[in-house]
This record gives sequence, structure tokens and C-alpha cells, in this order.
Amino acid sequence: MSQPATILDADSQTRLKRISIYLTLLLLAFGYPAAAAAEKDSVPPVPKMRKNDLTPLPDALKPVSAHSPYQDGDCSLCHQNKDRNDPGPITKPVNELCLDCHDDFAKVMARKSSHVPARVNCVSCHNPHNSMQPKLLVVESESLCLSCHTAISNLVTNAKVKHDALSMGAKCVNCHNPHAANVEHLLTRLPYDLCVGCHGKDGVKDHDGKVLTNMKTLLAENSHQHGPVADKDCSACHLPHGGDNFRLLTKEYPPQFYSPYDPKLYALCFDCHEESMVKDPKTTTLTKFRNGDQNLHYVHVNKDERGRTCRACHEVHASQHNHQIRDAVPYGHTGYMLKINFTQTANGGTCARTCHVTRSYTNSATALEPKPAEAEPPKSP
Amino acid sequence: MRQFACLAAAILLWSLSALAFANVPIGTVIENVSLPALAGGEQSLLSDTNVSVFVFIQPGQEHSNQALVQIIACAKEMTNQPVHWCAIISDRISPAAVAAEVQTIGLTMPVLIDKGDALYGKFGVVLHPVVGITDQNRRLVAYQPFAKVNYAAFIRAQIRHALKEITDDELAEILNPPAAVLGGEASVAHRYLRLAEKQFQTTNYVHALANLQKSLDQNPTADAYTLRARILAAQGNCPAAITDFEAALKLDPQNAAALAGIKACNEKAK
Repeated sequence: MSQPATILDADSQTRLKRISIYLTLLLLAFGYPAAAAAEKDSVPPVPKMRKNDLTPLPDALKPVSAHSPYQDGDCSLCHQNKDRNDPGPITKPVNELCLDCHDDFAKVMARKSSHVPARVNCVSCHNPHNSMQPKLLVVESESLCLSCHTAISNLVTNAKVKHDALSMGAKCVNCHNPHAANVEHLLTRLPYDLCVGCHGKDGVKDHDGKVLTNMKTLLAENSHQHGPVADKDCSACHLPHGGDNFRLLTKEYPPQFYSPYDPKLYALCFDCHEESMVKDPKTTTLTKFRNGDQNLHYVHVNKDERGRTCRACHEVHASQHNHQIRDAVPYGHTGYMLKINFTQTANGGTCARTCHVTRSYTNSATALEPKPAEAEPPKSP
Repeated sequence: MRQFACLAAAILLWSLSALAFANVPIGTVIENVSLPALAGGEQSLLSDTNVSVFVFIQPGQEHSNQALVQIIACAKEMTNQPVHWCAIISDRISPAAVAAEVQTIGLTMPVLIDKGDALYGKFGVVLHPVVGITDQNRRLVAYQPFAKVNYAAFIRAQIRHALKEITDDELAEILNPPAAVLGGEASVAHRYLRLAEKQFQTTNYVHALANLQKSLDQNPTADAYTLRARILAAQGNCPAAITDFEAALKLDPQNAAALAGIKACNEKAK
């Protein structure tokens, strides 16, 4: 079989030629530079279709996958002729032809979100004859995806923090269904359900070899979950393809216990949480962590030097207390956990002596009288 | 499977209700109030007779803007539905800045101004953006914080559920969509069967039988046994064909092609 296989029938080829001529004339009439500029300015919503050489492999090569009709020499199941050396054009538009046998795909493609190349042109990704790749893919799967999804390719290449999910196992297909899915971005499940596929196991390590928390266990043991976690939306805070922040966080979040207050450091939190919660010294509406109208978030966080960061009191994923209040915070360098001893009351709360002397607060208009001077906070837990 | 889906949905709905506005749990009947509108005059927060959707936003904030784009699209799709829409902003934000943002985003629903954050405080809103949905009786039926994935689908489904256009099960399936896994053995077997059908039509019996064997090895179905029986019958091998027709009937006792095939083979034998 020496002729390269064509994916278009004769009529389509003639139509394509005519369209090319019209387009050339249009470009000449309105000027190519203008067209080029327009292309540069507009980000294509859909990546371009790949054009592939769909010629069967030379006989000397042993393919990794082969299409049964081709293997059986049944050229006329798809082409006009039976002759392997002169199969002629295909008898139907390519996807109609594929769905004749792969009719289970009609149901697959009816899912909420579908991949344009799969809808339009199966041979964008698959060689209908044979291939040195599994599943008749025209090239290795990751390269295939990234050849169109160039923004992701750049992100993966340049990210300071890498996500191993992109380079392990089925790579892109670990999370995406290349044909169609019920979740946006062709995700095979909601983000959390995908993430716990790996992050729900013990001993999983990050790209730098640090052991990561088993999220399934953490969430099973801690019923008070952060909103995005309860909503299965890990991507609210983490970038799945790679990023520049610690733990693939979408924006900055202080990794330490103390930090001078700077709203930029809390960009991640302020994507959803109201910045005024730590900016306004007085409030009766923004938080229940207040003594009368004295905003205790402001008191703790908004300091020039030793401001407590969110993580000083809150777990980011889940804890056993409302608002993901932590049980304890790491203190010193030995791994000792200093108990926070927070107790919520009907109209306020109490922190028993640890970071400071025991202090209580109430939301009622008549706030509690201030207790004696605050004890010296512990040194850099 | 259905029971599992319902359970999963119940857990999800429970978790959402646990997350509801800190001071207003799901199921609470909300008092309707009039608030000053950005465009002038006063507007109601809720409808007293229709489903209402209200969204606390902070124009300029990334998630609020992303959410608004999707909420605007939802509202556009549901133009003809009896749904009352409004957005709520704090009066801490400059009205001029809000007006500019609202215009840029193309928000046409009324934007209400929450003076002194009274509504924020009353509901216990600590997040942006957050959508609340009430039914025709002003009962809070859903609460949806921002989600990076499937956000519009979640909101649309919850509104349609409040409108009684979709059932609890349908809502549960949208909030917790089924996994979209790749093919598997059953679909590969089905493709070999379809290929064998085509090869049978072109009298390529040798390849058709070989592909049917692959299909049967992976997923023995009545259709595959029936097709193999028809090929064997076409080759004049009625005893073997009857064996396969009978195998098909064991899996599908009403299989018309198998019943007809046995009858034809028996008549041929007479």
C-alpha cells in the first residue's frame, strides 16, 4: 500500500480547493498583514486541528496497534476500492465512517462536554491504519495533547512547582477523557474525586520527594471542611498543571506562622474571603470572631511585624472544629504541637492559655471587659 | 447504583447545607426586603411568588467576575423562566467603581446596595461570590459558593430544581456527575461485533468469524452468538449454528434472530 490514505472524499477535496482559492483571494484583497494581526490578537477558543500523515507504517515496522479492518485487508470497509495499493477515497465523512463500528461513541459524545477534534475529526488523533503508539494514536499521547494545547505545554515546561500527575501513568488521560465527559474541561470526575485517586493514598510524595497528606483519611477524620473541599473543587486553590507557588497554589499564601500583614500575601484567601475581615478594626457584620465590635481577626493578623497568618489558627482543608480551627500549631523545631484550646460558645468563644493568657470574646453589644495584658506569644513555632 | 447516587447526593446536599450562609441554614424562610439599587430607586431582594436568585459579589475580585460571566449566561438562558435575579454589593465599595465593572461585565440584573453590610451580617456572608436560591415561598433551597469547575451547571440545576423542572435524582446527577471512563472490554467487544457484521455483509466469513471470536472472548453476548450462528448457517454448518443460536437464547430467551435461525436450520434439515 504505497498511496497515502486520504481522509476526504473527492467532493470534499474539490470543495476544499475552492475554499482555499476564495480565501487566498480574500487575503489578497484585504491584505495578509491585517489577517495575521487578527490571528495574533485573538486567542483561539479551540486549538487548531492537527494534520497528520495517515499513511500506514512500512511493512518492516511492527506496529504497536493496528486497526482490525486494515489488518484484515478489508480496505473497502472504509475506502471505495478493495485494492490495498489503490484504495481510493473514503466512502463517507471520516467520523460517520468511524461511528459505523464505534457506535458506542454516540452515547459517549452526548456527554455534557466534548472534545472538538473528537466531534469533528477522529483522525486528528488516531491513524485509521496502524501506529507505533497504543490506541492508534498518531504520536505519543502527551505530545499529542500538548501539540494543540500550547498554553498548557508552556505552563508545564516553565512551572517552578511540577505536578507529577502530568508525567506519570496515563499522563493527561489520568484526569481528562479525550473524547467527552460530564465535567467541564473534559475531566473524568469532579476535581476532588480525581485528586484523591492519588492523594487519597499513604506515602504519596510530591515532585521534590516530600510525603504528602492522605486527603481521604484527613477528611474522613475531620468533618469540618473548607468550602472548596466540601464542594470537591480542589482547583479553587490548586493549579493542576503546575505553578509557581508552594503546593501548586493559585496565588500567594504565607507558608509561615508569623508574617507582617500585607494583603498581597493573602491573595489566595481574598479570592473568596472578604479582605475587610482583617482590614477593618471594628465590625459587627464581617465576622463572628469579634469582641463586641472589636474585630479579632484584625487584632491577630493585621500587625506590622508578628501578624499571625491564617494557618496559625485555621486548617486549610479540614479540622474537627467549626471554621476549620486547628487543634494545635507546630511549636519550635522539634515538631511539638502547641494546643490552641479553642472553645466555641453560643455567642463567642474562648482560647485557653497557650499562645496568650486565657481570653474570651462575645459577639453581644456589651463586650467582655478586657483581661490583663496579653502574655508574650511563643517564639516562632 | 441508584441508591448509591441518592446517598452521595444526600451527603453532598447535606455538606452544602452545612456550609450555608453562616446565619441562615437551608430551609429558612427569608424575609423580603427592599434595598437601594445601583441604577436608582429601590428593588426587592426576593420575589414573593417566583424563584429568586441573589448573588453577593465584589466587582473586580477575580472569582466574582468569573462567576458573574457565568451567572449572566444562566440568566440569559432562563430569560423566559419565572426567576427573579439580583446582585448585592456592600456599600463599602464605591458605586462609581461598581457601575464601571457592571458595565464592563455586561450585568443587566438589578444591583442592590447593602447599606452598612446589614444583609451581609444578617446572612453571615463571609465569601465572594456566593449565590442563594429561594423557592416561591421565599424558602432558602440552595446555596452555591464559587467553583472553578461546573459552576454554571450547578447553579442552573439548582434553579431548575427549585422550579421543579428536574427531580431530586436529576439534580444529584448534575451535582455529582457520573465518571466518564474510557471504553473498557465491553466497548471493544462491541466494536469487533460491529466489524464482523460488516464483514458478514461482504461475505468475508473468515475475518468475520475471527473478529466475532475476539468479541465473544471479551464479552459473550446474545448478539455475538447469533451473528456467529448466522455466519455458520450461511456456510452450511447448521449443527454448529444451532449450538450458537441456543447459546444466544440462554442469554436472551426472546432473541428473535436466534429463534428464527433455529427454525430456518430445522426446516433446512427436513
